[in-house]
Amino acid sequence: MTGPSLATRATDLVASEWTKFRSVRSTFWVLLVAVVTPVAVSAVVAFAFANAPKSGAAGSRPPSDPLLPEVISLEYAVIAVAVLGVLAFTSEYSTGLIRVTFAAAPRRRAVLAAKATVLSAVTLTVGEAVAFTSFGLDQAVLAGHHQGVSLGHPGVPGAVLCAGLLLCVCTLLGLALGAIVRHTAGGIAATIAVIVVPAILALLPSPWNGRIGRFTLLEAAGQVTALHPAADLFSPAWSLLVLLAWPGIALAAAAVLITRRDA
Amino acid sequence: MIEVDRLSKRFGSVTAVDDLSFTVRPGRVTGFLGPNGAGKSTTMRVILGLDQPTAGQALVGGRRYDGLVRPLRAVGSLLDASALHAGRTARAHLRSVAQSNGIPRPRVEEVLRLAGLEGVAGRRAGGFSLGMKQRLGIAAAMLGDPPVLMFDEPVNGLDPEGIGWIRGFFRELAADGRTVLVSSHLMSEMAQTADHLVIIGRGKLLADVSTQQLIESSARHDVLLRAPRSAELAGLIAARGGTATSQPATSQSATSQSATSQSEGALVVTGLDAAAVGELAAANGIALHALVPRQASLEDVYLDLTSDSTDYRAGES
Repeated sequence: MTGPSLATRATDLVASEWTKFRSVRSTFWVLLVAVVTPVAVSAVVAFAFANAPKSGAAGSRPPSDPLLPEVISLEYAVIAVAVLGVLAFTSEYSTGLIRVTFAAAPRRRAVLAAKATVLSAVTLTVGEAVAFTSFGLDQAVLAGHHQGVSLGHPGVPGAVLCAGLLLCVCTLLGLALGAIVRHTAGGIAATIAVIVVPAILALLPSPWNGRIGRFTLLEAAGQVTALHPAADLFSPAWSLLVLLAWPGIALAAAAVLITRRDA
Repeated sequence: MIEVDRLSKRFGSVTAVDDLSFTVRPGRVTGFLGPNGAGKSTTMRVILGLDQPTAGQALVGGRRYDGLVRPLRAVGSLLDASALHAGRTARAHLRSVAQSNGIPRPRVEEVLRLAGLEGVAGRRAGGFSLGMKQRLGIAAAMLGDPPVLMFDEPVNGLDPEGIGWIRGFFRELAADGRTVLVSSHLMSEMAQTADHLVIIGRGKLLADVSTQQLIESSARHDVLLRAPRSAELAGLIAARGGTATSQPATSQSATSQSATSQSEGALVVTGLDAAAVGELAAANGIALHALVPRQASLEDVYLDLTSDSTDYRAGES
């Protein structure tokens, strides 16, 4: 093969996707929502947890896990970055720009990989920044009520890192489903459905709620971000695998379909 | 050079392109003509590797499009001028396209100037008129300075100044020795731009001829005359090797004909030109009331060619 090396071509495609990503305003607004919402919500949730009665009626129990406020708040950011992922392809399909993109880069899987690279880099950076900021805020609030933990506590750094990873997982899931569905509204609906709907499995009678529920994205996310993982679900290590398998399988399906279908 | 070889493309039960073969050569503007739905855009999408052909293949410069390493340096294309993100500036759009093929940044400014967009490069494309979007699409096609160029209906939405500009631009590209394929559903447009024509209807090839040949091949190349002694003149014309047929009065022209003498017949003459008919009449002392050389316009030829293959026609019952 003559011409530029594979690495050069890959770098060029990533540069192209990075230019696309940062040259539209929606990127900025979505990321703003993804940063501000979880930080604000986690502080509020931490206050609520800290001020909950030590023992009382069901539903107002104190948190068993000091990292829970952070995870709850990140779930708000998850929807925002999932939309960002969906739009990466659907905004191009809706305008016909996808034909310009694929005419410039006939190796469509390379385009998928370049978009995934840009989205991962941004959402990992933002996700980790948000996770550690929320953690700091939450623990400051909880510490005032002697419920906090420090970053040095065993298991905490890994759990906070995994919380930051959650945004990247969901944006990649959105990217893949956007490439598969090819319509913005449908892609967003599908992504939210895949993330949220399996939560109803928790309503199954025990032990089936755990046996099936441990394969869902949100239960896996809960396990890897908890200081005290639930006993009836997968271990954090296995849950991390489950968490990564969701976008992994979706991206594999997208990679197959994207080359088979007419643009 | 673009080679389309026995190409077919079906979408479900609809055959968009049907065993189509033609070659687009460098150094001239080739018009790609056909009614709406004839398969022009589908053919272009297959050439660009966007749609998979059901049968046959298309080659650009002897290679399949999806085998090109830096495709924009080999083929520039504009399929749809509206294929833009409304929120992205013209410059950012071009830069993202350029980067994907390793085209350096200064080239973006060059094509902006080439398309006359340097003044609006920082504006969001969503606010562009269709004409400005066409120019932006042409700028994008020129990024890689490619030897082969394809434009799908590039004249749509352009103002007269823009149309003049784009015609001159296509001619320059061809004069550079590039291969230029321009689609249109309007013959009148192509007649003034294209040196060669590939005409399709219902996905099939109808004609692959030079624009000049197509004009000359027209069967409707005749002389209309009116003379009081038309029957006598018809005999003289026949003796000279021409063919004269009397033209029946159509219902539409009946009113105007009623003003003239009933004995004054209209003849349609082929095989002799207007000058020869006039000399012949004068030599025999026959007065002529009208002598009109008629040449079928390209539009007529085109309508004749495609009349059987128009998918959508007004007034059909």
